[in-house]
Amino acid sequence: MIRHALRHAMAGALLCATAFAAPSASAEDLYGPLADDPSMGGTLEMGLLVEPPGLDPFHQAADARIRLSLLMYQGLFYEGVGGEAIPLLAESYEVSDDGLTYTIKLREGVTFHTGQPMSAEDVAYSYNYIRDPANGSPGAGDFSMIESVEAIDPTTVKFMLSVPNASLPMTLGNKYGAVVPAGYFDTEGAQNRMNVESVGTGPFKLVEFNPNSNLLLEKNPDYWEEGAPYLDEINFTFLPNSASMLVALRNGRIDLVKLERPQDVQQVATVPGLEVERWASLNQKPIDLGAETKPLDDVRVRQAIALAVDKEEIKNASVGEYGEVIAAMPAGMADGWGVPAEDLPNMSRDLEKAKALLEEAGYGDGFDLTLTTINGYDWMDPAAVTLKQQLAEIGINLNIQRVDIGVWIDNFRSKHMGFTFNDWASQPDPNLLFYRHFHKQPEGADFRNWNNDEASALLDAGRAESDPAKRKAIYAEFQKVLAESVPTIMLFSADHVTVRNEKVKNFSQHPTGWYFGLVRTYVDE
Amino acid sequence: MGPHLLKRLGASILTALIASILVFLLVRLVPGDVVAQMMGQAGGEAAERSLREFFGLDQPIYVQYWVWIGNVLHGDLGTSWTRGMPVSDMVGKAFMVTLEIGIATLAIATLVGVPLGIVAAIYEGRTLDTLIQGFNLLGLAAPVFWVGLMLLVGVSSLLSWSPPLRFVPPSRSLADNISILILPVASLALLQAAAYSQFVRQNVVSAMHQEYVRTAVAKGVPVRLIFFKHILRNVLIPIVTFMGLILIQILGGVVIIESLFALPGLGRLLLSAIETRDYPVVQGALLVVVVAAMVVNLVVDLAYRLIDPRLRHG
Repeated sequence: MIRHALRHAMAGALLCATAFAAPSASAEDLYGPLADDPSMGGTLEMGLLVEPPGLDPFHQAADARIRLSLLMYQGLFYEGVGGEAIPLLAESYEVSDDGLTYTIKLREGVTFHTGQPMSAEDVAYSYNYIRDPANGSPGAGDFSMIESVEAIDPTTVKFMLSVPNASLPMTLGNKYGAVVPAGYFDTEGAQNRMNVESVGTGPFKLVEFNPNSNLLLEKNPDYWEEGAPYLDEINFTFLPNSASMLVALRNGRIDLVKLERPQDVQQVATVPGLEVERWASLNQKPIDLGAETKPLDDVRVRQAIALAVDKEEIKNASVGEYGEVIAAMPAGMADGWGVPAEDLPNMSRDLEKAKALLEEAGYGDGFDLTLTTINGYDWMDPAAVTLKQQLAEIGINLNIQRVDIGVWIDNFRSKHMGFTFNDWASQPDPNLLFYRHFHKQPEGADFRNWNNDEASALLDAGRAESDPAKRKAIYAEFQKVLAESVPTIMLFSADHVTVRNEKVKNFSQHPTGWYFGLVRTYVDE
Repeated sequence: MGPHLLKRLGASILTALIASILVFLLVRLVPGDVVAQMMGQAGGEAAERSLREFFGLDQPIYVQYWVWIGNVLHGDLGTSWTRGMPVSDMVGKAFMVTLEIGIATLAIATLVGVPLGIVAAIYEGRTLDTLIQGFNLLGLAAPVFWVGLMLLVGVSSLLSWSPPLRFVPPSRSLADNISILILPVASLALLQAAAYSQFVRQNVVSAMHQEYVRTAVAKGVPVRLIFFKHILRNVLIPIVTFMGLILIQILGGVVIIESLFALPGLGRLLLSAIETRDYPVVQGALLVVVVAAMVVNLVVDLAYRLIDPRLRHG
């Protein structure tokens, strides 16, 4: 059912052709389905396995931060599940013919948690702050195509770009940055204060954030959206291990959790009063093949590895039934943007062909290869053992090396990732998904040292193209290049699995894994 | 006693200083710093550089240490890099939680372990002794996290109850505080009571076989007097030493138990600060642990003197 909902939304997004002026959003599009007759008030107790390292949307890249800060802070657009950017603090926008100027009309009647009204000055300040690398935002790179942001009048801002970029609205979403009062960061210690007070425009305000304990949010009584949110309070408790979280869930100490290990479902699936739900996700678990590592610099070796991999078997070993094998797009985007596996090369297992390719590359006798896995990512252990068996069949002897996340990130950022499992997600937009990871340097980061001209040209074309149909064709072509030359092998997307007490109503899980759905959730006591 | 105490104090301060340097260097050996953590898979060089500057990570290590230790000596442990809160507040709050767990565990372990050990020694070789030794063996063999998990899951399925999730200090509600701490303290106390009981039993048994006890028995001194005056007095010193050791051991076990039971104590604070490479918090928390361990040792040392008159004049 979930998948179907997604498919329809996506089809709608693609059908709306080359509209250069987007209509304003209706409430149904934002955050999740509206409830028919919600109970107002009450407190939702939610358990979190991963504690956000901070709440600052400008300086903290951790996904655990994004999931929560979007309840307090808002960008100009909302990441629609179908992949379309829906106006949030924006009301509508127009794009110039050359694609370089975005004129954005702002929603009126929006106030900050501080009580002051939001104006175009605040919007210009916020985006000018985050895009300036001197301010130290990990998101600065995402905004580098912006040349200037100006307030035209109190309710209009103009974004000037250096190159056309069809993902601009999605980039002005809720991942990095948000609209905060102009001048906020001028005072000393401002970024630290974001753990003590919230200054956004979102449906919830920060009450208290206690390290290793809990985060308490309360309803923003002046929130601009009529009748929202339904809950008075959300209390997030940080539970560092799933055993105690499942016990707390059973005993009604917490009402809602998103499991980090879908398999844990078995421990609560039969408990009366608890409901388990599965949701399509935008996350992907790939094998990355860094071309700086011999013999992965030889495309035939990479193809041979792809042909020796049985994705279904690895997925089953890792997450059982709680995931979906993917081709070259995460599950949450496959319907809208993906090319079916049967139309892509190197997708199904063919050991004879793999061996022939290795022979041709001069590795007929096989070779030793080291796979890096990350401590704490539970799915990687069974996946590594399964992969070792699969690759042994074409003569590759896989050594498994488990490293700490800090080591792994260092390898990744210095572009020495070698042969490794990875685990990542992006916003539902192909440019944001692919560009930075796969475009040649210096425009992209090309973490896998792929250095592929054809792919980079397609990524440039896709970024500049605003016609959805043409865009889709470009990214289909890109996926073919990706599958042919194998810098990465996307294995599967793990479902988001949530467990809720039956008194929790109308919760939906966004494919990003972020908790937008809480804005539409209520508790029926 | 005066000069001795001064000497001990001086040695302690020197140890703390050396420990502070070690802590400072060790935490920086862990790959990836706070900036890398904040950037994750995103980021660019310019943004990184400006953040490193913000945290002072662009300075040479000895400069960073000098600045930090200078502030510490002025009573300023700095500000958390990820939370923006004063480290002294965070560490202080967490320390109170850990201290409460530690004291409660020690009290229960002592109240259970010491009598058990004495009873076992008195009934040496008989059924009661065997039973108590069985308990000791079980307590010593079972890992703390396993005991904690079994208690949590067991109590949950038998009584459909689990501890409240938000820590409440005893000053606000003693009843709530106890219901939160009962399982974690029980898990920690089992091991320590077993260790204590085993230790006391050995000491009492060996004291009972001493010649002065035999002589006292031969002279017809009442059993009660022999026990309290001769045996207990002699085993008191090792018991006090052991108490100190146990308190330090509890500080170690508490990391696991705090994570399992989601308690906002020092162990969990330290663990999460290491994960996020929040150096000021790691340094501040470890410094407190080191100082606490030294205070315990110092107190134990002073306690000897009260118990053993020989040391008072030595």
